[in-house]
Amino acid sequence: MTHSLHRRGTFDDLKDDFVVLGCPATGINKSGSAPKTQKFLSICYKHGPVNLGDMKTGNIYNTTMDDILSHVTDGTIVQCTFDNREKIVSLLKDLKENRPGISVIISGVSDIVQQCMEEAGLGRIHTIEYSLGTWGKTELLPEFEILQTHTMCGHAMIGADLIRKMVRDVKRGRRTIEDACLEMAKCCTCGNYNLTRGKKLIKELLAKYMVHSLY
Amino acid sequence: MKADADKCIACKRCFPYCPMGRIQTFKRHEKIPGRVYIEIDQERCTDCGVCLRANICPVKALYQPETPWPREVRSILSNPLIEFKGSQVPGRGTEEMKTNDVSGRFRPGEVGVGIELGRPGVGAYFRDVEIVAMELAPLGYEFAEENPITHFMTDKKTGKLREDILNEKATSAIVEGKCKLEQLPVILEAIKRAAQKVSSVFTVEVITKVPLEGEIPVKPVLEELGYWYSINTKNNMGLGEPPFKFYEE
Repeated sequence: MTHSLHRRGTFDDLKDDFVVLGCPATGINKSGSAPKTQKFLSICYKHGPVNLGDMKTGNIYNTTMDDILSHVTDGTIVQCTFDNREKIVSLLKDLKENRPGISVIISGVSDIVQQCMEEAGLGRIHTIEYSLGTWGKTELLPEFEILQTHTMCGHAMIGADLIRKMVRDVKRGRRTIEDACLEMAKCCTCGNYNLTRGKKLIKELLAKYMVHSLY
Repeated sequence: MKADADKCIACKRCFPYCPMGRIQTFKRHEKIPGRVYIEIDQERCTDCGVCLRANICPVKALYQPETPWPREVRSILSNPLIEFKGSQVPGRGTEEMKTNDVSGRFRPGEVGVGIELGRPGVGAYFRDVEIVAMELAPLGYEFAEENPITHFMTDKKTGKLREDILNEKATSAIVEGKCKLEQLPVILEAIKRAAQKVSSVFTVEVITKVPLEGEIPVKPVLEELGYWYSINTKNNMGLGEPPFKFYEE
């Protein structure tokens, strides 16, 4: 449940962050859904996602689009990540015209998603899921700046220490910001990691984090 | 996950990839003088496999051994590549609201409530999962049948989990189910009580069908009771086919 829901950030930070999922329903349209899911993926690909993947096969940074498409079977859930609302509007218009037949879900700032739906002529959101935040021993959590990147992978495959290590590597000149984001994108198998947002967040982290030695 | 003592050179490259933090210790090899290797704390490792998939070990020392039950439950819930046969969905949860447009799982007047323990990035023992489940069970909370945690319950009326998994740990585990809208305040109060008892963190989420017009039903309840909710949400577009008929024509 919800691996794209609990992304932490401010409005400015989240307004260009969208995860689009294609999901067939068990017992309803799952049987024979593979071509529908492939059609959905192909439509999404046309609209310029920054990441795209299938949980079991991987994402476009650790395999190829052809590999992802060829591994789609009945029941495969696929995810595409986008970095601006214009892409979402054009994608929704396309999906309205060429319905793949499986359920389509978009995680993002709800007001913006609703606006995109209206611009695409889709009316109201059908079903909505809210995050009520993190409860319990919250003192165990890493700091908010780290959580912003960490929560982009809902399966927690981008560990807090990896984010810190990437920041250190960039500061020490061992990696570029792009390389650091690619490394994190590879760990998030599903393809939920938004590289455009990731680069922005790393740049912000660079200014906030000290390293003991630059060598 | 384990590191082969004969191959590992203790280079530490795998350390930052672990979502559970620093769970490795250095050991001296008993047979090779001067050789140091790392040992992964099996109690804290959730067998999520990210260090292995990251392919960063220069000597291929990392390996995932066969894990007999009950340890097997760790990878079932922590490794996103493994599909739980009961839900037929890879990952830790179910289809929940993702397919509500065709399944009608959450009808008007119903609220889906999910509690994902261990998230984000802390991990949780099943004894903590049981605490949450047992708080909710007596309140008429209907556990999602296809969810792995529901499968591990010995008694759905009490929320009790099977004894053998209580000391196992997962990167995260989700208690999923639904209740009537009017029960939501009581359910949230119970979750608040559970938050005082668990030794980990959890995220809380609520799902509702958006009516054709008018206010989204859960919003006034959350606002009146003072619960924070996020600006970013997960939204079903209603494009699935055939559509479930929620309302009379």
